[in-house]
Amino acid sequence: MIDLSVSIGALKLQNPVLTASGTFGYAEEFEGLIDFRLLGGIVTKTVTLDPRPGNSPPRIVELPNGMLNSIGLPNLGVERFITEKMPYLRRLGTRIIVNVAGRTGEEFVECVRRLETADGIDAYELNYSCPNVKEGGLSFSSDAHVAGRVTAAVRAVTKRPLITKLTPNVTSISDIGLACQDAGADAVSAVNTLVGMAVDIRTRRAKLATVTGGYSGPAIKPIALAKVYELARRLSIPVIGIGGICSAEDIVEFLLAGATAVQMGTVNFYEPTATVRAVEDLEKFCRAQNIFAVRTLIGAMEL
Amino acid sequence: MAEKFIENTRVVDLQPLGAANFLLTLEAPLISRAATAGQFIQVAVPRCSVLWRRPFSINDVSTENGLVEILFQILGRGTRALAEVKRGDTLNVIGPLGNGFRVESTVRRALIVAGGLGIAPFPFLLKRLGEASIPSVVLYGVGRREQLCCVDRLRERAEVYLCTLDGSAGEQGTVVDLLEKHLRENPPIPDLHLFTCGPTPMMRKVQTIAEKHQLSGQASLETVMACGFGACVGCAVPMRHPQPGVQEYYLACKDGPVFNLEEIIIHD
Repeated sequence: MIDLSVSIGALKLQNPVLTASGTFGYAEEFEGLIDFRLLGGIVTKTVTLDPRPGNSPPRIVELPNGMLNSIGLPNLGVERFITEKMPYLRRLGTRIIVNVAGRTGEEFVECVRRLETADGIDAYELNYSCPNVKEGGLSFSSDAHVAGRVTAAVRAVTKRPLITKLTPNVTSISDIGLACQDAGADAVSAVNTLVGMAVDIRTRRAKLATVTGGYSGPAIKPIALAKVYELARRLSIPVIGIGGICSAEDIVEFLLAGATAVQMGTVNFYEPTATVRAVEDLEKFCRAQNIFAVRTLIGAMEL
Repeated sequence: MAEKFIENTRVVDLQPLGAANFLLTLEAPLISRAATAGQFIQVAVPRCSVLWRRPFSINDVSTENGLVEILFQILGRGTRALAEVKRGDTLNVIGPLGNGFRVESTVRRALIVAGGLGIAPFPFLLKRLGEASIPSVVLYGVGRREQLCCVDRLRERAEVYLCTLDGSAGEQGTVVDLLEKHLRENPPIPDLHLFTCGPTPMMRKVQTIAEKHQLSGQASLETVMACGFGACVGCAVPMRHPQPGVQEYYLACKDGPVFNLEEIIIHD
């Protein structure tokens, strides 16, 4: 029996495979396609204090080894999330991590405060880093001072595990990560999408309505891996690796580079069974390599 | 949410149709039994470097044989690779997806307006209309004769009028011209219902004409989709009359791909 479990602070996961926010809806979209109980956990699509309609189309662009998106965090708002989405999520038999965003620090705090009234939430992930929100989600994760202040303010209203999701679109991701750690975050997750764009050479128009958007998918994996490595070296709290992860082999790379767990994102769109297959393959890999506990891989890269 | 499946389907046939169109027949017993007209499937294209699956309207099904047919044309790398599959190959498919055409009991007569590959969902719909004993007229326009698809099958199930831009088959002109002429010659009766699918500018004109004649109708939209089942939220379709305080977009994959004409803004 291989022990696949890992811990993110007080949050125990049966295996290190989570779904990334914004790529797995509120799980109901995957009903009938996968067995949720096999996952380490689900990170929900972002929830904000008030409902948001999202951005104008076109919102997505396919690229050879990745995609651009500019969705703009459409969601029902926290109240309807609690009444309409949580009842389904809490009976799935897996960990539920609710991703939260706000236009201001106060909105983050207020959103979490409302979520505190709901049962069945195992942790929060603060989305500091969506590049597609005009009000400047980015400023929360591109300024260490602001990131620290918001993290501390949210920390003050919850005892649930707190994860801050970081953007790679900064000079030093680990400076931001350290500020979150010092402010009481239990873990960081990295990376969110990279800012990118694409132009239609015939119409001479940007392929996204918002011109620039977030780049994700297999193409960003090496960049994400380097950011995770940097974070894991400087931080003492766990790092959750995100960026182009599609398979058990990718997961092992992130663990070796220092991630404690991972999130799989873009792959869910075109291969909805990828997460559960990766869990199965991770176990096979460990068996073949005589690894009895997957956590022994964390940061075990040879230098 | 309606039931959907991931099936490893077997390629039963790939038949070239005229210019650059293909009719692909897949053995997909679960999907064929669950599908309704107007729904679509997401096909993982093998041996090619496209990331996303490719969405296709279900052209027809044979539930007794467990078959699903799709119609496609070569537009890019994904469809080019799909045109190279061989009988016996396996294709991984998710479906049936989306909401199909609604055939309300008030519909007494159907008028189908299809442009180009927009004919794709209609053989299946005509089968359902036939089962409901609803007489149907199909107006079908393409650029030139070689682009016509499934005309024999349409004729078995409906009264069919064709047009081509170059006049090589049927009348010369666009299907919008044909629709205007048809409505002049056959003033619409109140229980006539319109079904349309085709290029965006065409459907926008059909929407305007339907409004002018106070005709109810449904349109099947095509958009880019990363997933096809509501997770990526990429396939936004603007609502015509958003309720205050709720979302202002539908999702083509989940709320559509078939919409009531009066509910949507048809957008490039």
